[in-house]
Order: sequence, then C-alpha cells, then structure tokens
Amino acid sequence: MIVQQIVKIALQRAQAVQAIMLTQETSAVDFENDRLKSAETSQRTQIDIKVIVDGKVGVSSTTDPQDIEGVVSRALEAAEFGSQAHFEMPDAQSLEPVKIFDPTLLPLEKPEMIRMGKQMMDMVKTYNPEILAGASVNKTVYKVEYANSRGVDYSADHTEFNVGTGGQLVRGTDILFAGHSVGQKKRLVDTEEIATQVIEYFRMAEQIAPIESGEMPVIFTPRGLIALLLSLGLAVDGKSVYLGASPLGDKLGQQIASPSLTILDDPFIEYGPRTSAFDNEGVARKVTPLIEKGVLRNFIYDLDTAGRAGVKPTGHGSTRNLTNLVINPGNVPYETMLRNTTQGLLVNDFLGLGQGNPINGEFSVNVFLGYKIENGKLVGRVKDVMLAGNAFDALKDITAISKEREWVSGPWAWFAGLMPYIQVGKLSVTAK
Amino acid sequence: MRDRLSEALKAQDVEYADIRLEDKTNAWVNFRGPDLDTIGSARAVGGIVRALYKGGWGYATFNDLADLPKRVREACQTAKLIGSDTTYFAPSEPVVDVVKAKLVKDFRQIPLAEKKALTEEYNKIILGHHKSIQTSSVRYSDNFKQIWFASSEGTYIEEEVPDVNLMTAAIAREGDIVQNGFETGGGIDGYQSVEGFQDKARNAAQKAVELLAAPPVNGGKYTVITDQLLTGVFTHEAFGHLSESDFVYENPRMQELMQLGKRFGVEGLNIIDDGSLLDGLGTHRYDYEGVPTRKNYLIKDGILVGRLHSRVTAAKMGELVTGNARAVHFQHPPIVRMTNTYIDQGKVAFEDMIKGIKLGVYAHRAIGGETAMEMFTFSAAYGYMIRDGQIAELVRDVVLTGNVFETLMNIDQIGNDLEWQPNGPGGCGKNDQQPLRVGIGGPHIRIQNCVVGGQQ
Repeated sequence: MIVQQIVKIALQRAQAVQAIMLTQETSAVDFENDRLKSAETSQRTQIDIKVIVDGKVGVSSTTDPQDIEGVVSRALEAAEFGSQAHFEMPDAQSLEPVKIFDPTLLPLEKPEMIRMGKQMMDMVKTYNPEILAGASVNKTVYKVEYANSRGVDYSADHTEFNVGTGGQLVRGTDILFAGHSVGQKKRLVDTEEIATQVIEYFRMAEQIAPIESGEMPVIFTPRGLIALLLSLGLAVDGKSVYLGASPLGDKLGQQIASPSLTILDDPFIEYGPRTSAFDNEGVARKVTPLIEKGVLRNFIYDLDTAGRAGVKPTGHGSTRNLTNLVINPGNVPYETMLRNTTQGLLVNDFLGLGQGNPINGEFSVNVFLGYKIENGKLVGRVKDVMLAGNAFDALKDITAISKEREWVSGPWAWFAGLMPYIQVGKLSVTAK
Repeated sequence: MRDRLSEALKAQDVEYADIRLEDKTNAWVNFRGPDLDTIGSARAVGGIVRALYKGGWGYATFNDLADLPKRVREACQTAKLIGSDTTYFAPSEPVVDVVKAKLVKDFRQIPLAEKKALTEEYNKIILGHHKSIQTSSVRYSDNFKQIWFASSEGTYIEEEVPDVNLMTAAIAREGDIVQNGFETGGGIDGYQSVEGFQDKARNAAQKAVELLAAPPVNGGKYTVITDQLLTGVFTHEAFGHLSESDFVYENPRMQELMQLGKRFGVEGLNIIDDGSLLDGLGTHRYDYEGVPTRKNYLIKDGILVGRLHSRVTAAKMGELVTGNARAVHFQHPPIVRMTNTYIDQGKVAFEDMIKGIKLGVYAHRAIGGETAMEMFTFSAAYGYMIRDGQIAELVRDVVLTGNVFETLMNIDQIGNDLEWQPNGPGGCGKNDQQPLRVGIGGPHIRIQNCVVGGQQ
C-alpha cells in the first residue's frame, strides 16, 4: 500500500508519520432547464501526510501517487518551521463495524441514473409545466487508507449516492427556487418522495402572504434548523474553546438550552451521509453527546487541540467536522404544532447565513423559503423578510419539538443528520 | 505538451472537444492565537476533457495524467449518451498563445521560514494590540498554477496564474460579547503585495476592540450609503449574478425580466464587467474556452445593455461571446462567471452625498453576500449611523437585504471615488465552484429605502 510506503520513507528522517490516501471514482448525470445537459466520469486521488520532526509538525499533500518523494520532502521542510506537536500518533484501536458500502450501487450505470433523474423532473413538471426543472444523480465509490508510524493500518471502502431535484418558477419579478435532495451511502432511495417534497414547497408558495414586522413564534423545518445549529457547531469546536473564542467555553455541564433538547453526534448510523469508523488522524470515531436535556456535554477535539487542552480527541478529524447530528424527537405531531400557532412563520431556507458573527449566536438572515402561519394553517410564502435573533437564546426558548424527523444532508458540508421540526417561542421578523 | 494534447485529441469523435490540464503548487502558514496552527505545502495535478455532441456535454475529470486518449474517449462516450438535440456553440477564432506570470517578487523563491516570520509578525501585532483581544487568525497562502488548454479547433494556450493572499483577523471579547475585525491583502504580482501590512493588522485589531462597545443596529428602512468595498459586493451579488446568461438563456421568463433596453437604474448608473482590465484580480487574457476577454457594459446610463456569456449561452441567445466561461479548477467544466465587476465612478463627492441625510446608515466593507436571483443579502463588517448629515456612532450587525430590481432603482447618487477590493482568501462561489478569484469594485453609493436587518 502506498500509505505504508510513505510512512516507511518518511520515518528515515521523521520520528512520527501518518499518511492518508483517498481514491475515488464518481459518475454523475445532470439535468438543467428541463433537459439532460451533461454527464461526468471522474477519477480522484489525494494523498495527505503529516510528519513530526524534533517535536514539530509539518504537513503536505499531493494528487500524484508517483510524487511520494516530493510530498515527503515538502512535509519535512514544513516541519523544520512547524508548530510544536502536542500529541502523539494514535495506537491501533478496535473500530466499530459500520455500514458504509452498498455493493448494489456498483453495477448502477448512467442510463439508469438518467432514468431516475428524468422521473423526478417529470413529476415536478406534471405538477406545474411552468417550472423550469432540474435534477442530478451522483454515485461515488471511494477508498480511504490510513497508516501511521505506530503500525496502525486502516482501510475503508465507501459508497455514496446523492439524488435530488428542484426547479425555478418566475412570475413577474418574483423568482422562486426550491429543491430537495437525499445523500446517503446506499442505493435504496425513494425518488418519488424527493419530487413530492419539491412539489410541496412550490404548492405552499402558490400564494404570497403579506406579513407585518414584529416578534412571533417560528417553526424551523429540519433543513431550516441550520440557522440555529450553525452557531452551536462553531461554539462546540474545541479549538475555539481552547482559544477562548467560544461563548460556550465555560458552560460545560450547564443548562444552555431547553430541557426538551438532546443532540448527539453519531458517526455509526447505518449508511448515514457522514458515517465512518475512523477519522483522518487515525482516531476511532464514537458517539458524542453535545447537548443532553439542554445540558452542554462535550466539545469536539482533534489530536493536537486535545493535546493542548489536556483532553481526549473525539474522532472528528483534523478539521473537527461534525458527523451525523441526531436530535431526539419530541412529543408533538408536526400538524399539532402548526395548528397551535395563531400567527407565525415556518422557515426552511435562508440567504446570508453565516455572515455577521455566527459564533456569538447572532443571526440576521433573509428568509429565502419560508411560509406564513395564520390560525393554524400555512397561508403562503413570505418575501423580503429578515429573521433575526440569537441562536443560543432561541435554543433556550424552544416551545415544541415534533415527533416526526427527517434526514438532512447538506448544503453545508458538516450539516447532516436526522432532525425534527422545532418551534421557537419568539423571534424578531422584519418585513418590508 | 502541445503535441501531447493534440495527439490525445485525435481520439475524439464528436463535434467539439477540449482538454485543460493544471499543475498547482501552494504553500500556507496559519496562526491562530499565539500558536502556529499549520504550515505546509501541497501539489495538485489533474485535468478535464469536455466533449460536445448533439447539445450534450460529456466530461471526464482526473488526477492521473497517464492515459489522456482514454480520458478523451470516456468524455466522448458520455457525450454521446447525453446528446440528442441541437448543438449551440458560438464560434471563436482559434488562438495559440503563451501567457506568463509577471511577478515583482517571486513567492516561490521565498523560503517557508521567511513566510512564517512575516505571518508571525502580523499575528503578534494583533495579539499585543489591546487587553480585550482574545485571539487571532492570521493566514498566509500562495498559489502558482500552470494551465495548458487545447481544443479540437486548434486553440492552444499556456497560462501561468499566480496568487498571494493574506488574512489578518482579530477576535476581541468582553464577557459574552465577541467581535471580529479583519483586513485582507495580496495580489497577482508577487510576494511584495503582502509585505508592509503592519498598519492594516493594527487596524483589524482596533476595529474588533471598538466593536465591543458598539450597539447592534436597529432593524428598519434607512437611507444607506455603502463604502466602496460594500458597493463592490452589492454590484457583484445583487446584479452581477443576474447578468450571467446561464440563468437566462433557456428561461423565457428570465429573458423577459432581463430584457436588453430595459431601465434598471438612474441615468448615471454604469455597471461593467471587464476581464481584460490591467492587473485585476479576475483578469485573464482568455477565458477557459479560449475566448479573449473584453470590457462588457452590463448597464449603461441606467439601461440594461449586455450580459455575460459562454460559447453555449451566446449561441443560444444569438449574442456575441464575452469571454466569461471560467472554472475554479480542473475538477469542473467552465461556467459563466464574472471577472472584474464594478459600478463605474460617478460625480458626487462623499461630503455631498451624506449632507441632508437626517437618519441613515453608513455601511462599511463586506463580510459576505449571497443572492437568489431577485433577492440578495449582504453583511457589512460594521457601520456608522448617519444623523443630521454627520457620521455618528459605530454600530454592528449591519445586514442589508432587498430585491435587486427595486434596490438598483433606489440608488440615487453615485460617488466619484472608485476603489477595488484588495485580494484575500476566498472568492466567488457558484454551483459548487468556489472560491473563484474575482475583482470587485465601486465608488460610494447612496441607496434610498434600504432594509437593514436586525432586532427592532
């Protein structure tokens, strides 16, 4: 294996080494503007290495498996001026068996992927021929190999399948985009359900509902929860905590959210979009409770930050990315949650998220896809509306969590998981 | 290389094919807080083949350059699976050219130790600036990319694309309040563009400290003046993306909306995208289909007069190519993108613009911006209230949002002080292709009835 070869070569000058290699084949078809537009075959190789020389860290990477000498020498050069290592390469650990490879995806060819895309697009067009529709189907097969100087040697074969559809509807100067996609590690996917979800977004937006500025209850869809979870994700990053930049840094064990809220990071869900057994530092993954009954339980740490902070790494890789987020279901049916709202908003998608000062919890976003709730019913799409507040205050002000949960994967790389609908008591809405 | 590429292209059996190969090396030094976070360098080599057949595109992307004819055949097979329609592909005169980088100080010759020392100096300035400075993030990065492009029509272009950028950010904290200040720099002309940044680093730290005491802006409708950097982001986000023809060319409703000849703004409003500008961050001699770049007026005297094209969108709309097909790297085909986009300078001096505003917001710099066709939102790094024609107190969390058509019409004054945004990490994102380096510029502008988000 190339990774072991790299470790061996680098060990001639370094005291510790790790190498990780990704080899990947992707096949994708893409429909745009009601038409099959393009298809792609892609081959990828990526090698990342990290060395420790005289206690200092150097990294390098290459896409060329022939360039082993080059990548090693660049990492060694970087280590000369590198940061002090606050960690040692991990020893071999027993890995959790995970379901990440679906062999039934292997024989899937482009003509069948085209058929799936077309089926979803046709459903959307049947609902409303005025919608300019698109679809994409993307299959990826990849292998991750990891080796380090402690004799650790892991390898994992993954499959990934991403299927989505969406469209654009223009009426006068009013333009509406809506889409839905599912990303997972298995082939079994309900294309009809994906298209139905998109149609539902358009159906609910048939009317534009005027809304007045003020404070009101807001229901976040599973996808819309990103507005609240973005700040949480940044604030539980162990590096921000270590540097004193996280507002949650001194709140471990404290009540930071409504007692109804429990959020776990679970890397072991069968065929989950972010499921895997080890991270890119050779650390075994594990389930990390973030919030239990409203109490802050953990921060996430890579090897080096954990070493600096004097804690254990949590298996979230060198860049500390969350895996599959799981929010425990509540006891209210979604329909009841709606019915109990006299005047409020249902929000699904935003513009301008992550601008401003997200680690503080403050957000002020344009509601890109949101609906007005009036007397227990969705009465239409809202436009030119800003939603503002503080995510941490909102998490304390949760008034209901739905029984139902849905899978969300993307659009933010780390934001994937199984989430309910969550109602927040009061948020500020500015309408034009 | 030219022979190798033309040899590989002999394997094509479609209407059109091209190959783009890239070899990129980069180096980086990142400090977070007092410690060096990472230092390293990387190399990425790869390519993409595009094949066009009966209106359908087949792409093959790869890191392994060993068997190029095989990749060409792969792309052609895929194109044939897709194509079943009419091909639209605007003509472009084949060119053969070599574009060399012009570096005053070649960053590839600078030892990593020196880059680290420079980054560390800026980091120390920030951390030592004030007791409220909690931590810092100072990131240096350089890239040197060699591109080879060849098409079945005989075009062959070699291009060198250098880039150096710097981000100095300060994080100040008092109790639960955390605020940021930042300055970015760099350029395409060499290492000297990130030297001498000491004062800027100090400014970043100072702004973070000042913002601790600043209240959030009250949400509402205001007369807003945007500084040059924010004007640039507004132009790019709110209007620029609408000018990208791939949104328009197969969408009759969008064509109605973006009909040439329609009034979009006041008489003095001119919006331009110019990929041929001297030394712009989005400057290229040719785009990624080998089409020469040029100065394209999008809005002239308030009237919509043009848009940005690839060879496909130009042909489909019966308009001329503009040289705007760009790709972020070899894992993607080129799509319609902006180059250097700006509102051209007007006649109004800043002092005259602010005079007479009873209550308004003077919004500075951009942290980011996002758009969904007609709706846009962009965040200022900070702002000042305008009271009775004077700049008043500092405010934070200034987010501007609105409908682009209304907002453009609401620009009533255009400043005489055009400036370009400095280089930095990041860039424009579209269809998973990010970050693409773009030039963003403009003068001060005044917008009436602009919605500023925030708590009421």
